[in-house]
Amino acid sequence: MKKAGLLILSLILCLGPFSIAMAQKSPTICAVHPFTGRFAFAGIEGSAAMQDVVDMANEAGGINGKKIQYYWADGEYKDDVGIAAFKRLQAQYNPQIMFGQSTGMTKALGPEIKDRYKVLYSAYTMTSEAANPKENPYLFIAAPTYAEQFGVLLKYIVKEKPGANIAFFYSDTEFGREPIAAGREMCKKMGLNLVAEEIAPVGGVDITTQVLDMKAKKVDYCIFQGYVSNPIVAVIKQSKDYGLNAKFMGTFWSTELQLLRELGPLADEYIGVSAYSFYYQEDLPMIKKIREWTKKKYPKVEYRSQSYMENYLTTILFVECFKRADKMSGGITGDNLVKALQSIKNFDLGGLMPPVTIKDNSIPVGRVYRGNSKTVRFDPISDWIRME
Amino acid sequence: MRCGDYKENYIKDEEIFQSRFVKFWLALFFIFLIVFPFIANAYMLYIANMIGFAVIGAIGLNLLTGFTGQISLGHAAFIGVGAYTSAILITKYGVSFWLSIPLAGLVSALAGLVIGIPSLRVKGLYLCIATLAAQFIFGFVFVHWESMTKGITGIHIPPPVIGSFQFVTEKDFYWITLFFAVLGVGYARNLVRSRMGRAFVAIRDRDLAAEIMGIDLFRYKLTAFAISSFYAGVSGALWVSFLKVVIPEHFNFMLCIQYLAMIIVGGLGSVIGSIFGAIFMTLVPEILNVLSDVVKSYTPGMGKLIIPFKQVVFGFLIVSFLIFEPRGLAEIWNRIKKFFTLWPFSY
Amino acid sequence: MDFSILIQVIVAGLATGGIYGLIALGFVLIYKATSVLNLAMGEFMALGAFICFTALTMIHVPFYIAFAITIVFAILLGIVIEPLILRPMIGEPIISVIMVTIGLGAILRGLMYMIWDPTYRAFPQIFSPKPLKLGFAVVPSGLLWGFIFAVITTIVFILIFKFSRTGVAMRATANDQQAALSMGVSVKRVFALSWSFGAIAAVIGGIVIGNISGINIYMGDIGLAVLSVIILGGLDSIEGAILGGFIVGILQNLAGLYIDPLVGGGAKDVAPFFIVLIILMIRPYGLFGKVIIERV
Repeated sequence: MKKAGLLILSLILCLGPFSIAMAQKSPTICAVHPFTGRFAFAGIEGSAAMQDVVDMANEAGGINGKKIQYYWADGEYKDDVGIAAFKRLQAQYNPQIMFGQSTGMTKALGPEIKDRYKVLYSAYTMTSEAANPKENPYLFIAAPTYAEQFGVLLKYIVKEKPGANIAFFYSDTEFGREPIAAGREMCKKMGLNLVAEEIAPVGGVDITTQVLDMKAKKVDYCIFQGYVSNPIVAVIKQSKDYGLNAKFMGTFWSTELQLLRELGPLADEYIGVSAYSFYYQEDLPMIKKIREWTKKKYPKVEYRSQSYMENYLTTILFVECFKRADKMSGGITGDNLVKALQSIKNFDLGGLMPPVTIKDNSIPVGRVYRGNSKTVRFDPISDWIRME
Repeated sequence: MRCGDYKENYIKDEEIFQSRFVKFWLALFFIFLIVFPFIANAYMLYIANMIGFAVIGAIGLNLLTGFTGQISLGHAAFIGVGAYTSAILITKYGVSFWLSIPLAGLVSALAGLVIGIPSLRVKGLYLCIATLAAQFIFGFVFVHWESMTKGITGIHIPPPVIGSFQFVTEKDFYWITLFFAVLGVGYARNLVRSRMGRAFVAIRDRDLAAEIMGIDLFRYKLTAFAISSFYAGVSGALWVSFLKVVIPEHFNFMLCIQYLAMIIVGGLGSVIGSIFGAIFMTLVPEILNVLSDVVKSYTPGMGKLIIPFKQVVFGFLIVSFLIFEPRGLAEIWNRIKKFFTLWPFSY
Repeated sequence: MDFSILIQVIVAGLATGGIYGLIALGFVLIYKATSVLNLAMGEFMALGAFICFTALTMIHVPFYIAFAITIVFAILLGIVIEPLILRPMIGEPIISVIMVTIGLGAILRGLMYMIWDPTYRAFPQIFSPKPLKLGFAVVPSGLLWGFIFAVITTIVFILIFKFSRTGVAMRATANDQQAALSMGVSVKRVFALSWSFGAIAAVIGGIVIGNISGINIYMGDIGLAVLSVIILGGLDSIEGAILGGFIVGILQNLAGLYIDPLVGGGAKDVAPFFIVLIILMIRPYGLFGKVIIERV
């Protein structure tokens, strides 16, 4: 009896909001954010960014008068919770655009999105699988893939010190391993020596053997992948102690101010690649716009991280795709949104990134920054580098 | 309705469905199960399928931990073994889905046998941690044995087929899940009232005495591990064919904890407890999600706080549940049944 | 073989092992008296690190005061949690109690999220960042101080257990609750105290790890790797905890040095679990644990 009661209760609860939302066909975005779990810092900022862009767009008149609807759920950075949330949002709101929380969820849902759901999709990930228009035409990322980010860093290294010794230091997870194979290829092509590959779990306390191994192999540049802060901090700190004179580099998710704060005086040792300008680069028009909006709506917020910028850009592209698809015959459908996406060329972003052209469902542009321990900021040390 | 307890021979005592009343409601429940996919949407069917997989896995774990008293923290590893076996058989060797399920179960059972070997020497919490060690070792193998498991990229699995019909959507897969779940529940329920089931319980309660009475501890403990892992393997194989992808990160320690929570909250040592526990642990987070969606739409500012609060509520539910009813949902169910057995003359 | 690397690796393993031993100590202190494996230990660690961090950055007190505040907090934590959550569970199967600790961990994590948000933070510099340069090896500052704290804490607890009345009472309770009760030992107080002691070890561990890798509400996740340490040392042995920690730390680093290159990495983290399995085959109660003799 209890079983049946529970099931009926859940039926009622699910059907409730479902029936309310049934009538809509306005442009709808649904997102699964990792509000809890290790990526919570990204989830909170990312969902704020989406909300901001949707509010800004609606204030400016929406899509030819139609207001954009935006709904989100917490995926807890767990794949099955995320997938369940995805399906729930799909059933309730029938969106035309979905945003996912992780690499794992993207991979799991990829085939279904292609065959069944046919929605435009992006996520908190920079996996190459999401930038593969032949296999997954509905998936895209508004950033360079991890492999492309490695490419940007390696190109920078080749300019500084051709033939240098490289080490990849990554975590034993999907996030960590994703670009490694491509990275190996690129090293070979660019004539760099990949002398070491170190693996350590996220948050590992003891990385002595890895550091000593890099020292023994005379590593010049160590590239981190798959971490946000630990053990990058521990490695850089202990490298000084053990006498490893290497330069340390990281990809998108670790190139954040929170890492610099943790590094303290060692912040100058860290070089990172990021795809967007930073919140403190106030002279750029788009950054000014974000700052004004933030001060107006969230007066207590002092800083917006790169996770914010990534979602901000993605949502701006979403809105633009909505606008273009609305003008096509058939209106706003998944397939028209994909066509709209492909038609984005030299789209101006007010300095957040150079004018965007979607190539192979990603934006292969990045910039190399170095940490500055005195100002606790990143200073650009290269121009925008394009990967081909 | 029957009143009181009156049995004339052992056969009647051991019957699973002890009255027509029970049989009637069970038939009604089955009708509901059959009608359900036609009235539910894709999300609810997704949840229903997940409940089905959880039921099979939970029964497996309960057979080992609840009935035989061997605490195992390695269940997720066995689920993973079954999942990968099935995936590899289907994609690499072209075995049909229907054959791969029992094969996955068998390979998992083998793994269970191997991991069960320490159980002869080691007891209680130490065994618990030995199985945890096995869990992490298997996890390592899943990621690093790339030639078979394709490491972290994972394997994409095509949907199962009968003839020309493909089980693509949640609704299609529901029938497969239902079939295996009913099979699993039926077998387990019969197992526990058989000689082997009684041996398991004896081992749990007083294993030295059981040995004196002639129960071969080693053999029965290993059998328990094997059967439990078989269930886990089948659950895993079904799960990944449903998800159409298998990646090593699915089979982590949190999954073990979830299954343990299912059988503890549901009721250790009871088949119906496993079912209740599986439903509870799968449904309650989703209900909390739906509720928080509703709250979110009425109080937009509070959205940020709702999320961690959901975690607190969930932890709180488990804790208070265990404090107030440590024998789990099955015990509550039994009490309700007993109440109605003598109602309205329960004095 | 390059001996200088080997020695360096062993020294680092010893230092890290000390930190593992500290967290293992927390588990053991609670298990010894109450037979409960507290899987919320990771959250206790994170909580301790956050309290100390808040004391240092918000109230701006010097470190030793912040440390004292954190210890007091740990004692309170134990005294509050034990009667509220664990006492109703006395007599229930051990697995239910473990599940309650897991639920407790989830509650603590949710509360931490609500009070402090989930960004990664740096721990303020409380120890000098200069590494210790022994002639044959270098010990980084974070590991060094972790080691020192671990050893001091272990020695303090060993002394308490051996010589103080409270310690003797706790050992008596661990041995035989009924007999201890009949001798006038307040078993209730012993239970609460043992949770406080465990919490103290955990929060010290949290401060130490926060110093090395920064703090974040999920930092307690490494608590699991420590389970292999307590198996090695025996679930109810304090000396076993720290010695087991040393052994696991060293063996882990040796695995990292010799085995990682063979399997392409990751062996270092799995190594402790292999060790566990081997130890259990030879000595099922760990190296120093009490052998339980069962009678029918």
